[in-house]
Amino acid sequence: MSLTNYLVLAAILFTVGAVGVLVRRNAIVVFMCIELMLNSVNLTLVTFARSTGTLDGQVIAFFVMVVAAAEVVVGLAIIMSIYRTRRSASVDDANLLKY
Amino acid sequence: MDTVPATGLLASSWLLIALPLAGAAVLLLGGRRTDRWGHLLAIGTVTAAFVLAVLSTVELAGLDERSVGVDLFTFISTGRLDVGAGLLVDPLSMTFALLITGVGALIHVYSVGYMAHDPGRRRFFAYLNLFVAAMLLLVLGDSFVALYVGWEGVGLASYLLIAFWYTRPAAATAAKKAFVMNRVGDVGLALAIFLMFTQLGTTSYEGVFGSVGLLAGGTVTGIGLLLLLGACGKSGQFPLQAWLPDAMEGPTPVSALIHAATMVTAGVYLIARSAPLFDAAPVAQTVVVVIGAVTIMIGAVAGCAYDDIKKVLAWSTVSQIGYMFLAVGLGPVGYAAGIAHLLTHGFFKAGLFLGAGSVMHGMGDRTDMRRFGGLATRMRTTFVTFGLGYLALIGFPFLSGYWTKDAIIEAAFDRGGTSGWVLGGVAVLGAGLTAFYMTRLVLLTFFGEPRWEDGVHPHESPAVMTLPMVVLAVGSVGAGFLLVEAFPLADWLAPVFGEPEEATAHAIPPLAVSVLVTVVVALGVLTAWLLVGRREVPTTAPARVSAPVRAARAGLYADAVNEAVFMRPGIRLVRALRVVDDKGVDGVVNGIGAGLGGSSARLGRAQTGFVRSYALGMLGGAVLVAGALLAVTAG
Amino acid sequence: MIEAPDLSLSALSPFLFVFGAALVGVLVESFAPRHVRQPTQVALALVGTVGGFACTLLLAGRGEVTAAGALAVDGAGLFLQATIAGLGALSVLLFAERALDPARSAFVASAAVPAGSPRDRELLTDERVQTEVYPLATFAVGGMMLFVAANDLLVMFIALEVLSLPLYLICGLSRRRRLLSQEAAVKYFLLGAFASAFFLYGLALVYGATGTVQLAGIRQSVTDDGTGTLLVLGLGLLVVGLMFKASVAPFHTWTPDVYQGAPTPVTAFMAACTKVAAFGAILRLLYVAFGTADWTWRPLVYGIAIVSMVVGAVLGLTQTDVKRMLAYSSIAHAGFLLTGVIGLDAGTGSGLAATLFYLLAYGLTTVGAFAVVTLVRDGDGEATALAQWAGLARRSPLTAAIMTFLLLALAGIPLTSGFTGKFAVFRAAIEVGAWPLAVVALVTSAVAGFFYLRLVVLMYFSEPAEDGPSVGVPGLPTTIVLAVTVAATLVLGVVPGSVLDLADGAARLVG
Repeated sequence: MSLTNYLVLAAILFTVGAVGVLVRRNAIVVFMCIELMLNSVNLTLVTFARSTGTLDGQVIAFFVMVVAAAEVVVGLAIIMSIYRTRRSASVDDANLLKY
Repeated sequence: MDTVPATGLLASSWLLIALPLAGAAVLLLGGRRTDRWGHLLAIGTVTAAFVLAVLSTVELAGLDERSVGVDLFTFISTGRLDVGAGLLVDPLSMTFALLITGVGALIHVYSVGYMAHDPGRRRFFAYLNLFVAAMLLLVLGDSFVALYVGWEGVGLASYLLIAFWYTRPAAATAAKKAFVMNRVGDVGLALAIFLMFTQLGTTSYEGVFGSVGLLAGGTVTGIGLLLLLGACGKSGQFPLQAWLPDAMEGPTPVSALIHAATMVTAGVYLIARSAPLFDAAPVAQTVVVVIGAVTIMIGAVAGCAYDDIKKVLAWSTVSQIGYMFLAVGLGPVGYAAGIAHLLTHGFFKAGLFLGAGSVMHGMGDRTDMRRFGGLATRMRTTFVTFGLGYLALIGFPFLSGYWTKDAIIEAAFDRGGTSGWVLGGVAVLGAGLTAFYMTRLVLLTFFGEPRWEDGVHPHESPAVMTLPMVVLAVGSVGAGFLLVEAFPLADWLAPVFGEPEEATAHAIPPLAVSVLVTVVVALGVLTAWLLVGRREVPTTAPARVSAPVRAARAGLYADAVNEAVFMRPGIRLVRALRVVDDKGVDGVVNGIGAGLGGSSARLGRAQTGFVRSYALGMLGGAVLVAGALLAVTAG
Repeated sequence: MIEAPDLSLSALSPFLFVFGAALVGVLVESFAPRHVRQPTQVALALVGTVGGFACTLLLAGRGEVTAAGALAVDGAGLFLQATIAGLGALSVLLFAERALDPARSAFVASAAVPAGSPRDRELLTDERVQTEVYPLATFAVGGMMLFVAANDLLVMFIALEVLSLPLYLICGLSRRRRLLSQEAAVKYFLLGAFASAFFLYGLALVYGATGTVQLAGIRQSVTDDGTGTLLVLGLGLLVVGLMFKASVAPFHTWTPDVYQGAPTPVTAFMAACTKVAAFGAILRLLYVAFGTADWTWRPLVYGIAIVSMVVGAVLGLTQTDVKRMLAYSSIAHAGFLLTGVIGLDAGTGSGLAATLFYLLAYGLTTVGAFAVVTLVRDGDGEATALAQWAGLARRSPLTAAIMTFLLLALAGIPLTSGFTGKFAVFRAAIEVGAWPLAVVALVTSAVAGFFYLRLVVLMYFSEPAEDGPSVGVPGLPTTIVLAVTVAATLVLGVVPGSVLDLADGAARLVG
């Protein structure tokens, strides 16, 4: 199977994630879409590691996973705190700051 | 004019300016905390500056190359652009620095007594220090821009000090008048600087004077005339003389320091400093001479008619500065003479003003000479010092004024031809009028029967006030001889103006000039004695007087002329401009403003506050970025 | 057998200092008793930032690549690191201010308590203070310093996250107006994560195109093989991620909301330090990795600079909140900074030195301006509405004078650092022939000057409201910050020569 397929799949996943960020209201789901984007990048990285014959891509993928885990911690903490106050995780409800 | 880098003490010349400036800053920012010792600090900074100036002068005198440049700081110096500021220490600037700090220190001391009971004493000393700093910058700067900064600084200090008692409407009005008339002159100076910059690309003295020869004759004349306009504004010369007498609303030490000894002579400094420019512009020089001569007469005539002791002295200042203008307008023969007269005038006129202040102090702040009289016995020190200043001013043989004024009159006659005779005649006539009005002043104030108002108890001023007067009186007596005969100022200033040339052929022998002037002066004194000293002095000015006296009392109608020629058309012009501005310019500006505001509000709508629309914006931006990059690389 | 990479510990000393302080801070947070935490944490954060600052000064003049090519120690990097550490120390001082708020801190006592609940109201006046912010901020400073030294896209990404994650958190920790603060945190977090996904995808594409993530390797590959679609797309996405952090329009949308909602000391920190760090990374990416192919990105940056200047200046006109106005000002300034980036021509231009100087001057002025914002308060905390600032000069002439001076500096009036900085970057742009950009920059400066002056006019020429805000008397920390920033703004405006020379000498990128 051509490596290009993996790249195309990753691009599609990235797009799905990006579109998800735009259309979903629940902050948790938005956040998951961002995670999807990060993971599509991981797929890209691993594919490129294979195609260029270097290990860097795979190493970077691990780093990305660690960073993503840290991001989850921070993100969930923030979303939890606003959820407790507002009893809602909809990103559209947090709309006091504008113009 | 090549300058050498500063060494030794001269490298710290910036301290001359920094010391009083720091004093002003401490007093203004320190607030009430400095009330108790503020005046002492102010005296300290000026005195320290004086000592430094003396030491620097001694060091400068010992140098072969008596023109020293001090780099103050470089603002931006990269590539071709070099924006910086520096000082020029040469005989001319140090002469002025000595005058400013020396007389300034004396007047600071005097002010301690004069302002002892004024609640605003700290503010007063802060402004005085500010003035000294600005004036030193004016004379020490090495470029026209530095001079301009100092020029505006002394204008500001002068404005603040004239309006020091700002609760008096007259003081506030006088300050405004001084400010506005000075602005007229300042515009001229600013335009001259712009012209230099566009034509030569530099405003440093070195650069401008070095390339005067490259300029077209008309341009040099233009620059010269514009500089002259600036000089006229600052020095109260025709046609901008009317503000100076009104400026006497300020405290008397201010009148002595700023409006007699130093600031008003800045115009003379400007013209003397720009000597290479004026030497290349004979037309401008002639105008300088004419303005000097006209102003001598205006000041002298108006001085005869006023009853306010300070205003008479102010008109006298106007007239004496006219002599200085006349001198520096005569070219190389006159520069040193003009500066010498400026220095001696600084001594005796400051002394006269301090004496007038002392009289006012004793008379409960009254200035009407018709209510003085017979003070000679009550205020002995004041009388003696004032008398010496008076003799110096009218040119009593072998006192200061005799030496320096005669030199100017001589130089005027030496110009030769009809113009020489006219100028010389005017100068001699002016000397006679000076003798008349000053004698009248002294007679009205110190002699005759007391005409005091009830409740006035004249008394001598405290030592802190009389001491500076004594020092200045000594200067009034001896400075002329020192500067003209003992240590000729012309030799000291030679690095700036060139070696003094001995006039080969005099139109009139110097001795004859001396005799002529002395005779005319004696006539003036005699006339005053006959008209004023022998008669009963009415306590109110007679109303029925001849037309010339009425004209003189109105300052030769300068205010009326200003009002008719400038103010009313000016107001009309301003009204017209306002209509244009409201309808036209404002329309355009408001239109742009409204357009920007409108687009701002519309664009602001995009900031919806929704995270998802922000993300959409970013995604759109990312697509645009990617598209643009691809377009560039593909294209 | 894997060979250990060469690691110059001395070159790493700034990071060791800052991250060390942050790690000790975490331990202090866990084990120290509550009452000693605040002074200890403040001291630690200051030791970390000031120590990092000192280390960069000691390293001055070095030019090397260390840690197996992952870090570049060079003039520009050290200059920016020193700037970040210094501004970070000033921000920590603002964090530590206890005299202004009756509740003794700008930060919420317990972030886990829902806003508006009875417990929250109870805690509002509690003496308890939040001390986690200090290690978090120190971590962010460390991340920023790493960001400007990263010579490798992976390190750049890690640094990006290390600086961002703590910022997301401390944005949401305001003691007052917690709803706004939390909203700011959520927005910043979601958009920030979104932007870093773009950065990461760009990284992956560049890696795919060149087979390496080291900037030197990328440059080699660009020089040898030219630019393919993959590489250019990757560059574009990397630029998007960095421009987001630098709050450059059109990636600026988060800036006003987050600046307004975050606690003001945090806003000061973000506005100053994040800007410096992001521009450091932009310079390094564009000049070290893609410097030989600058024809690809130059038109793009040119356009973005114009958009950013226009958007910042025009949108700033109608703002009614001081912090929001300063946020738009920050967007406009990002545009001005990009003119300096354009003015950086390999070898000849003075753009790098100009940009370094501008970042320093802007950072100092901005910290000062936000410090003034913390002083103006009413019963509900800071009074940030423009209308509330009316007639402030009557109430507190000194505060109004300081704010006026700083606003004039932001507007770029001569004798302030803002003028010198603008002058330097515009001249750099003109030197490389980008004078139309300089013209646009001048026009937008004039427009932006309008809204700064509007606040000045409001402070001096309006009648103060009856129930207007009062001006708090700052404690020592804020006083130090104000003194330092005002003095620096003045000095950099009046005698900028030595610092300009310093920036000029430091203007070197290795890699």
